Amino acid sequence: MIMDLETVKDRAGPRQFGPGDDMPEEYRKAATRMIQFHANSEVMGGYLDKEFTRKAPSLDRKLANTAKVQDEIGHAQLLYRAAETLGVKTRDEMLDELANGEGKFLNCFHYPVDTWYEAPMIDFFVDGGAMRRQATLKSTSWTPYAHAMDKVCFEEGFHVKHGESILRELMQGSKATQERTQETFEVWWPRIIQFFGPPNDESHHNDFAQDVGLKTATNDELRQSFLNMYIPKAEKYGLEIPDTPRIEYDEESGRYELAYDELDWDEFWTISKNEYPGSKEQIGSRRRRQEAVEWVRDALDSWESEATGVATGEAAD
Amino acid sequence: MIWEVFRQEEPGDYHRHVGNVHAPDREMAKQFAQIQHARRMQTNSLWVVPQSEIGEVDAEDAAFGGTTDKSYRWAMTYNDIDASFAEEVADSEAEQREAARKRREAMEEADD
Repeated sequence: MIMDLETVKDRAGPRQFGPGDDMPEEYRKAATRMIQFHANSEVMGGYLDKEFTRKAPSLDRKLANTAKVQDEIGHAQLLYRAAETLGVKTRDEMLDELANGEGKFLNCFHYPVDTWYEAPMIDFFVDGGAMRRQATLKSTSWTPYAHAMDKVCFEEGFHVKHGESILRELMQGSKATQERTQETFEVWWPRIIQFFGPPNDESHHNDFAQDVGLKTATNDELRQSFLNMYIPKAEKYGLEIPDTPRIEYDEESGRYELAYDELDWDEFWTISKNEYPGSKEQIGSRRRRQEAVEWVRDALDSWESEATGVATGEAAD
Repeated sequence: MIWEVFRQEEPGDYHRHVGNVHAPDREMAKQFAQIQHARRMQTNSLWVVPQSEIGEVDAEDAAFGGTTDKSYRWAMTYNDIDASFAEEVADSEAEQREAARKRREAMEEADD
């Protein structure tokens, strides 16, 4: 069925559109941008997380961490497939864009990690926030995206619980361990709040994505529900919420009022252009690893073209 | 030629395998699938796939999920953590618990 934008807005709802529908270009481009961003974030989150396998203090933690990294890379594969169904970009194009620095991804994955204390910041708080968002995307209007979310959400419960288990363990450790965890939390807390993007009125893509049902919750709604759930969790384990940015709970509205201007938005927008020093480090290190295993992709591609007589250049990365 | 048939009930649902039809080509396979599998059952879309194009690996060939203890990849393992604070985490754990239960039952049946 051929649809114009007005029809799309009228019919927008959970899992309403799929590859069988002839979607207008604006929709296909917006959905591609959103799903590609999500897929890139799974790759970059997975690469960041794999650092923790070496730093994990026990065999159990190492095993759980490798299982988690494997899941994240699998999520990226599902999402690139879902993005491809829109017919705007191929997976190869999206992976090339990620390697050459054009591909965008979540702010928290632009900060290289170097201690185990950072593991719960990513695996509990960032993953917990991501899962909040992903649960709402089960109702996105692009069906292949929603189907990817079914599997992603099925798996993520393990990640978030494992992340919380790490935080609990650290905060039951020695006083020095607790202090290091608190210090690390103070560094990560503003980034975690920025994870949900700028306040609604500064976001560029929000309105259209909501009008056509790609997004079902605003950044602000997600951030509020995240703060409602995760501030009590942090406090439960003895973490103190940093003074900056100021956060006040308004009993009447049931909202956390945030002093947004106390967050470093210059850094956030630099990151969003992939121009932060950490961005270059993270993108570069993934690109070098991608290049190092090029022979594997080449071998798969030549095997495929021998078997089918067609060279696709689409082997798994 | 045999064509496997997958039916989707509502827009946004998964296409699920419902059976197969004999047909000489793709067009007739679609016709027959409509008659055999979509005449009464609620249907939004049908897929037909040549049976010879389907690859299969079954429990005889593979130990799905591995043969060693991989409890570290399940949410239930971290049972000192209460997932109920976030609906999506609790839902995920419930889905994993159900999957693990089915898997365990199948393994127990195979042992009998």
